[in-house]
Amino acid sequence: MSPRLPLGTHRALAAGISRIRIVQRRCASNSATGPEIYDVVCVGGGPAGLSLLAGLRASNLTRGLRVALIEGQDLYKNRLPKDASLDTFSNRCSSLTPASVKNLQEIGAWDHVNAARVQPYQEMQVWDGVSDARISFDWDSARGMSPRKPTQPTTIAYMIENVNTITTLLSRVEELGGVDIFSATKVDSIDLGKETEHADFSSWPILSLSNGKSLAARLLVGADGANSPVRTFAGIQSRGFDYNRHGVVATLKLSGPGWGGADHKIAYQRFLPSGPLAMLPLPGNMATLVWSTTPERAAKLKTLAPNDFVAMVNAGFRLSPTDLEYLHTVPSGQEDEVQWREKHTSTNERAIPVRAVDVQQGTVASFPLRMRHADTYTGERVALVGDAAHTIHPLAGQGLNQGQGDAAALVRTISHAVQTGQDIGSTIALESYNEERYAENNAMLGVCDKLHRLYSIESGPLVGLRSIGLRAVDAMGPLKGFLMGRAAGGA
Amino acid sequence: MAPIRLSKSVFGTLRVKPNHTLPIRQRCLYHSYEHDQPPPFPEAESSILSAAMRHVPDHGFTNAALKFGARDAGYLDVSTNLLPRGVFDLINYHLVTQRLALKDSVQFPTEGQVEGKAMGVGAKVRALTLARLRANGPIIHRWQEALAIMAQPTYAPASVAELARLADEIWFLAADTSVDSSWYTKRASLSALYAASDVFMTQDTSKDFIETEQFFDARLKDVSRMGSFMGAVGEWVGYTGHSAVNVLRSKGVRI
Repeated sequence: MSPRLPLGTHRALAAGISRIRIVQRRCASNSATGPEIYDVVCVGGGPAGLSLLAGLRASNLTRGLRVALIEGQDLYKNRLPKDASLDTFSNRCSSLTPASVKNLQEIGAWDHVNAARVQPYQEMQVWDGVSDARISFDWDSARGMSPRKPTQPTTIAYMIENVNTITTLLSRVEELGGVDIFSATKVDSIDLGKETEHADFSSWPILSLSNGKSLAARLLVGADGANSPVRTFAGIQSRGFDYNRHGVVATLKLSGPGWGGADHKIAYQRFLPSGPLAMLPLPGNMATLVWSTTPERAAKLKTLAPNDFVAMVNAGFRLSPTDLEYLHTVPSGQEDEVQWREKHTSTNERAIPVRAVDVQQGTVASFPLRMRHADTYTGERVALVGDAAHTIHPLAGQGLNQGQGDAAALVRTISHAVQTGQDIGSTIALESYNEERYAENNAMLGVCDKLHRLYSIESGPLVGLRSIGLRAVDAMGPLKGFLMGRAAGGA
Repeated sequence: MAPIRLSKSVFGTLRVKPNHTLPIRQRCLYHSYEHDQPPPFPEAESSILSAAMRHVPDHGFTNAALKFGARDAGYLDVSTNLLPRGVFDLINYHLVTQRLALKDSVQFPTEGQVEGKAMGVGAKVRALTLARLRANGPIIHRWQEALAIMAQPTYAPASVAELARLADEIWFLAADTSVDSSWYTKRASLSALYAASDVFMTQDTSKDFIETEQFFDARLKDVSRMGSFMGAVGEWVGYTGHSAVNVLRSKGVRI
């Protein structure tokens, strides 16, 4: 991002200009039955879209813009109640990096978070399911010899339910006000407008909503997920591949808070040939599971009885890939089978997560894993954020954070355009957004893709090489610190 | 029939051949449904060689078999000299006739004729290749000799060319219509598969060459695994190329 002019000098001016514009346009739209005119229309009320709107409303520069949010689902119905019980957690959780949290703090949303349901974790254990080569990520071992400064962070990331993120952002958007929210409203069609006697809409996307309204967008933001209709409207192609893997998620109850106690939570990830198996801590004795595996095995896991499913999860962190392969072929009774096999497998219990004892009812679900990247994030009066722009393998837990990074970058780009008096929908104004995010997201997508491919190999020289590589990185504190910094959001 | 007159007629046939067979012996480099292919061998050659083939199980691919063949066909022993490549011509005769026999020996139900699932191209290729391998069955105990002769430097190019023609014939009969680079890879991989199975078969003592069939199926599986791997590599390379261009574009490079 280019250096910005001091905000104060332009604040009044820019805000004034945009307000005048809006007034004019409101007149125009009222005089005819034409579409309602908005500066920014965001399709999709997910974390990325809400973060963008909160960012736009929170910034003095962009506060004057007339913004709308369109969400197909009922935003208010799916809210997390303030007094939600800490015994149950949603199975859809994500990890927020410190950089994303910082961004949420900047836009003033973090104050609204249900903090009791957010679990920071300080250590991460990653190991190879075939060779058992291991790497542990924690800021102490990454620092090497130098003692820890009190200001340095200890948190690697925060586990948070997606519903908590959305509720947090929605509360902030409501607090700021000024966003026209069309909840439980679908976009029927998006077309380019026509030239009328009042205004020329020929380059403007006009959205027809299911409630009969019609909106004209100076800038249409697609935050509408992987099958983005906005992206289709803009004619932007999205490339990538399906991994032929499914991610099985579940909320688990563990036998204890973990080896580090309640104040030092540990995330675990074991790379099995079928895909990584991750257990991420939630408050108390709870944890969330993400098991990337083949579609057949995912289907099998979903049909298992709760006790067998729990046994399989425990086995996933303890037994060899060969044992696991066999266990997936047994129709039922995994619990006994695992118990017998564990007796004959030596494990260092302190290096693996504490045993799961129960699975929360109805939380075992799966979704297909794929990787997609749009050719560009911007078009004429169109910008894409979040999953609409890129879909990533969940092994590094970066999907939500990329969306937050996109939203923050787009807010900066729009602010700059407003500040310099540009049309915020023009491709030239939007160029810096694409420039800032594309290469960075592409690198992250590439790293996760290559990790997935590297660890799907079951045998051969690559297994030895990757184990040597993993151990080498583990031994080199500064390198590890650098990698952790990157994963934490370029700290 | 006096031998001398017959030998004359042999000379006669061979000498005349270029003149009167030329118009119909236009070489066709592609498969055509419109034109009948001319017989691959002149009549006299054909009669000697086909008769000689009957002696192969006893005498192998040798000059003796050729000699007996000529006698059976009513020619002089010396007339085998007319086959410039000697025993290799006998082998070549076997290869060519068996290749051309494929289209008659293996019949696929035409589409829509039979109820149920139509045979895929892969299944057709498998059936054709196995049929061709089985055609070596009666002479398989002599086939190693033939392979040795085919591998001689003088004959190797002709043998390889014939192998390529066989692979082409099989893909054609299997109704493969690909017109991309896989046209070449398909023929190359089938040639390799066939050659390997052919050699394996010379050692196969199982009933009905079951082991050869299993061997061939295992290699076929390797190829398809390789094929899907190569496909995945291609997809990945394509994606990476596009993303490299897109990154440059995002940085303002006009491409």
